[in-house]
Amino acid sequence: MAAPRSSYPGAIPAGRRDAPPSLWDPVVRITHWGIAVSVLSNALLNRGGSVTHVTLGWIVMALLVLRLLWGLVGPDEARFSAFPPNPLAALAHLRELVTGRVRDYPSHNPAGALMAYAFWATLLVVTATGLVMTGGATPMQVANDKAAVASGDWSALIREGGEEDESELSDAAKEVHEVAANLLLILAALHVAGVFVESRAMRRNLVAPMVLGERKK
Amino acid sequence: MSAEPGLRSAGRRQAVALSIFLLVQTLGTVFFVGDVIGDLRAEPTSFHFIFEALVTSALVLGILFGAFALRRTIELLRAQEQALDVARGALAEVIDRQFEAWALTPAERDVGLLALKGLDVAEIAGLRGAAQGTVRAQLTRIYAKAGVSGRAQFAAFFVEDLLGAGVPKTAAEAAQ
Ligand code: HEM
Ligand code: HEM
Repeated sequence: MAAPRSSYPGAIPAGRRDAPPSLWDPVVRITHWGIAVSVLSNALLNRGGSVTHVTLGWIVMALLVLRLLWGLVGPDEARFSAFPPNPLAALAHLRELVTGRVRDYPSHNPAGALMAYAFWATLLVVTATGLVMTGGATPMQVANDKAAVASGDWSALIREGGEEDESELSDAAKEVHEVAANLLLILAALHVAGVFVESRAMRRNLVAPMVLGERKK
Repeated sequence: MSAEPGLRSAGRRQAVALSIFLLVQTLGTVFFVGDVIGDLRAEPTSFHFIFEALVTSALVLGILFGAFALRRTIELLRAQEQALDVARGALAEVIDRQFEAWALTPAERDVGLLALKGLDVAEIAGLRGAAQGTVRAQLTRIYAKAGVSGRAQFAAFFVEDLLGAGVPKTAAEAAQ
């Protein structure tokens, strides 16, 4: 039981409070809230396949690329090496949470780290299937096609129709896209609940470092 | 005291600005690359593509350099904040030890520290809920124990420690 925890890099004995960042760096914060707002909007607010939907989807792709690059070259606590996916450590952390004796980590705690990787993997699936459905069309092309169709030029639809197997692929992509989008919503609910529970257990506001940091005197 | 949070937030603003710039760069690159791939599938052999491939690599390099530069900026910022904290901690230690060496009483230490922070007699008296005459008498005793002529020399005592290197040479001395 001790092994997985002690093998987690940078694990700091409970009691030291200065470990996790008091303010995440701007790249982490901007990509986080950009992705959160775009995902919620695409899953709940706009119509799938609309120009807004595809545009936000492409913005999510860019934010994801930036965050993943930042995981390789960013400052220490933003790097993947600071919060490797480690299910055993995550379980140990959850067990500590139940017993009420949580420790500090220099980055995300092991359970939060797993959550982050689950988000990123699901986001890759959602955006990839979205690209398959739209034939890789950029938001500009989608807007052009829509404008053409609206003005009565139906030839733009040919790009979407295509051959038999292509539309079969597109149907499969649509299924996966919607399932993965719902998975994102479930993850988000778990995620917000997790942030709330951890904040209570650590007696520290976890959201503030993700926004503007603690307002100091 | 008041200049330092300003320094911090100026540094943070710079990091935020660089991050937003990096984000715009990434957005532009992703959209551009999507467009290029679309073109490539439409006309795989066009000369146009060579040009677009060049632009793409320039954009990607730009993002990489931007990310490294931002990382450096953030690390520099943190190092500065840490150095500032260390310096403040070190100075506090120096003051503490010196007050002890002068055998100041606890009340005199408090008054001496407030005087170092630039508060005048009335302000110190207000803060400590004491009469101004008492504070003036305490300051006089402090200066006597420290062997300085007054407040200016008292403050200079510690500033000199901070500057360390002593009085700089004049141009004539340096030339020799
Ligand atoms: C970033 C996160 C995304 C989420 C959460 C998301 C979510 C959804 C959901 C829930 C639907 C089905 C509900 C509806 O029809 O309104 C849908 C449909 C669709 N999405 Fe997304 N999406 C995302 C990204 C993308 C991307 C990047 C693209 C394209 C590049 C895309 C293209 C589409 C298309 C074309 C449909 C219509 C499918 C159809 O009904 O034929 N989506 N999306
Ligand atoms: C669908 C919406 C959301 C998604 C996809 C999402 C995704 C993520 C991801 C991937 C991380 C890891 C951050 C990184 O290292 O880049 C993260 C962290 C975080 N998120 Fe979210 N998030 C969402 C909504 C929210 C909401 C609504 C809140 C506010 C309660 C929130 C609060 C946080 C906090 C506080 C952290 C840092 C946790 C820590 O201290 O380790 N998130 N989120």
